[in-house]
This record gives sequence, structure tokens and C-alpha cells, in this order.
Amino acid sequence: MAPRWKGKAAEAKALAEPMSKIVSRLQSSLIESNSQGLLSGCTVLLAADPEQTELFNHACFGRPVITSEKDKQWFQLSLEEALYLCSVMKCIKIVGENTCVKDEEQLWHYMASKRAGFPILFKAYSHLRMKNWVVRAGSQYGVDFVAYRHHPALVHSEYAVLVLSDEDGDRSARLRVWSDFHCTLRLCGSVAKTLLVLHVSKNGNGAIPPSSLDHYRVEERIVTRWNPEQSRENQTIVQKELCKSGT
Amino acid sequence: MEAEADALESLSFGEGTHGCDSDSECCVEDSVDDELFYASGDIIPKLQFRKEASKVRWIEELGMAEVLEKKGKMWTTTGIVRDGKTYCSIEETLYLGEVGALDILNGDDTPFLLSDIYGKLAEDKNRHGCSWESFEVYRHLKFLGYIVGRCGVPWSMKSVKMKMDAREGMEEFDSSRGRGSMDNSFITEMFGNLHFGETRPVFDVYPPNSKFRKSCPGAPSFVLCLTSGHPPSRQEIEDLETRCGGSPLKFCIVEHGRVSFLSFTKVELPILA
Repeated sequence: MAPRWKGKAAEAKALAEPMSKIVSRLQSSLIESNSQGLLSGCTVLLAADPEQTELFNHACFGRPVITSEKDKQWFQLSLEEALYLCSVMKCIKIVGENTCVKDEEQLWHYMASKRAGFPILFKAYSHLRMKNWVVRAGSQYGVDFVAYRHHPALVHSEYAVLVLSDEDGDRSARLRVWSDFHCTLRLCGSVAKTLLVLHVSKNGNGAIPPSSLDHYRVEERIVTRWNPEQSRENQTIVQKELCKSGT
Repeated sequence: MEAEADALESLSFGEGTHGCDSDSECCVEDSVDDELFYASGDIIPKLQFRKEASKVRWIEELGMAEVLEKKGKMWTTTGIVRDGKTYCSIEETLYLGEVGALDILNGDDTPFLLSDIYGKLAEDKNRHGCSWESFEVYRHLKFLGYIVGRCGVPWSMKSVKMKMDAREGMEEFDSSRGRGSMDNSFITEMFGNLHFGETRPVFDVYPPNSKFRKSCPGAPSFVLCLTSGHPPSRQEIEDLETRCGGSPLKFCIVEHGRVSFLSFTKVELPILA
């Protein structure tokens, strides 16, 4: 399935402003302002100045929180987004109660305790973000994430992403029976997304701490239905065209 | 498109009866229930029978039928050739038997009935390498004009020779094997591919092609794997990919006569700008 841009202008705009540039501008700006996020439940709250607000919006991190405060805009980040900005982009600090900065190990344990399967979800999130894909929550489509080629205002999401792991008992319950596949593929088809399954597994090396992304590896597979009726028609068309061009 | 037309001309099946999901992926329709009729009269679609039937003899020891008389064009894409003779697998025999294109005889020239073949499918899957489910898949693809052979079983020994020549230069090919006598070795080879109770490769599938030749079939467009009750694990998929030597794989599921095909394609998402 080809990317579905929301018009020609949108594609040109995306081309002119690559996502990697937007994210690295956000990164510099957050480092410069020494930004701190407040860990609260399954959310990290972070205040942004007007420039950062625009960058957060363009890079698609977090959701704006509507407040009456004039001088700053609050954003609420998901656990994956916050940890990504903190431990991969190294551009924010995260504090808990008592405004005490939490180190990565503490954050990792906290988040893993808050959300089932967090380590592999975070690996999957980082994996796609590091390739400059925009990753948003997938609950609207019954999946873990949706992945966009650029800002959702410019392009429809291409992939509905499910994250699977061989080891983790809870997570591996996904796509275990055929009806799960039928259900997911039927839904993905109706919203014109391709099902992308990310298999996250542990690397053999025991020396790497579990909180390190290097501890895991990701395999990407797309799952599609094949329709023999349609493929046969396509085949006929292709052959006819070959015949035509041959004569 | 002769082969395809040939496959289709004899059939006036309502596709819904044996169909897989033909509904478009882009709009969800409640078509499943629409296929069911509650009416008197022609509830079950009828086949348009062929006027001329080919003749085969079922050979119990081989678990295959030897072709005695060929009528019609389907023989360019049906049966394997060994020692100048054509042999049909049980699914080929049953498929042609069902559409009325085949007179099947027993060793003693008494008629071998459809019920006998149905019985053979049911009695012991291992013996003939074909289950009812794999037959349903075979039939589904044949109705649509696809060319379907047993996975890894050469259409003719000539095709094997050509393949070996291509691979190893003009190396001398053992003449006794080159003749491709109808011994048990190729059947053993056939069954060697089979592991029941798990996802297994069953058919080599070629697209509809009127120029198909058994002596030069080319590479199948994919190897079809039949899944058992549960979806294949990542490990199973990887093992099958290795076993099938890099041929593209598709997986089929048969549930209540409904056939679905899935592919699990390894990809690498591009690193974007």
C-alpha cells in the first residue's frame, strides 16, 4: 500500500521538513531550557514555551493539556514518549514526587510496574521513532501503535502495529488464534492500514542490562490477506499488458 | 488464458459456496449471510458436466491413479510424468472426479467411485499425503485457474534434469534416476515433506498460465503452507522459510469450508529523512 498523503501540498511540505529535523530541533530546545517532566500515574506532564509547543505539535509528541495559563503550554506525554525523550534523546529529565530526578533504572522499573509489557512496547516504540516514523497510540484501531510517515495532518497512518514477544506471557496472548487474525486484518483493511507485527525478543547476551534497548531485537513482518480471485485478475491484466508491449 | 478458461468452463459454481473472503478489504460488507439461501429448488449449485471423460486407473500401492486415456486440455497442468506415463495424486483424481472429467477404474476394471476416494481421504491422511482440508484448498485454487502441484514433487523428471543441469553445469545425471522410473523413491520423497499436526508446506502454486509446461514449469509463485488449528509461531514461520529455500510462502486456513490465505512477509521499514 503506497503512502496516502493528504494532498500534493502535504507531500511537498513533508519533504521540505523532514521529521528528523523537527525532532532534533525539539531536542535542542528542550536541552536548552533544561526541561523537566513530572511523573504522575501513567503520564509525564511537561511545560513548554511557544517554540517548544509548536515543535511538540509538529513532532507529534504528547497531547496538549488545555489550561488557562497564558505563558506556558502543558503537554502530557505517554510513558513511552517520556522515556524516549529522557533516555534516548537525552533532552528531558523526569522527576517524581519531591521533585527528585529519577534515573533511568528507576524509571524503567516504575514504568514496567505500571504497564504490562512495557519493556517490549518501549523497544517497539523506540525502534520506529529512531527510524523517524511518527508513532501514536493505537487503541482507536485495537492495536498497540499506529505509525505515520510524517505528521498525521499530512499523511494517513500506514501501519497498524502490534507488538509481540516470545517470552512474555501476557503480551503473547495477541494473535494467538485465527479469529484474532481475521478480526485484526478485517479492521485494518477497513481503515486502509497494513498490519505490522513487531516481534521483540531478547538478545542472548546476559551482560546487557534489561533496561538497555540493546537487550532486545526487533523483527518486522507485515501480515496481509491474499485474495486469489483478485490476484488472478491482476495476473491477467499484467499478462495482457505484457502481450501488448510485446507486439 | 486457455488453461484458466478450461478450468472455468466446466464450472458454474456459485463462488460463495466454496469461496474464501472475496469481500473487498476496504469496505466491510455483511456478505457472509447474504450467501445463504432459504429457498426451495436449486439450493446447491450444480456443475456443468463434461461430455468427454478421461480414464484413469487407481493404483492402491502408489496411492495414485495412472492415466489411461486423456481427454481435454487439463492434462497440461495435471498429473506428474514418470517414464512416459502420467500419474494423478489423490487430490487431482478427486478434483477431476468431482467435476465429472474422469472415469476412474479399480485394478480389476470395476468403477472406482467418488465415495471410495472420499473414504481414502478420510481413512488415513498419511497414506496419501492429503487431508480433506488440503483437498479443499486445492479445489479452491483450481477453480480459479491456478496451477497446483505437490510441494517439492517434480512435474516431470525432465524438469528435474534441467534444474540440475542449470545448477551444476552439464554434470552427468544418473541415468536410472533420469528415466524417472515409477518406484517408491519419489513417493517416499513426497511423504518426507509431510509432518502432520503442524503447519506444513503442501502445494507449489503457479499463476494461471496457458503456456505452462511440465517439462519447464519454472519456479512456483509461492509455496502454500496449510496450517493446523493454531497460527504458526514466528519460529515455525522461520523454519518453513528456511526449509522452502527462500520461495515465497503463503499460509492457508480452512475453517468450515472457508479458505483464507495470509502472508507473513519479513520487511524492513525504511529509515525516513
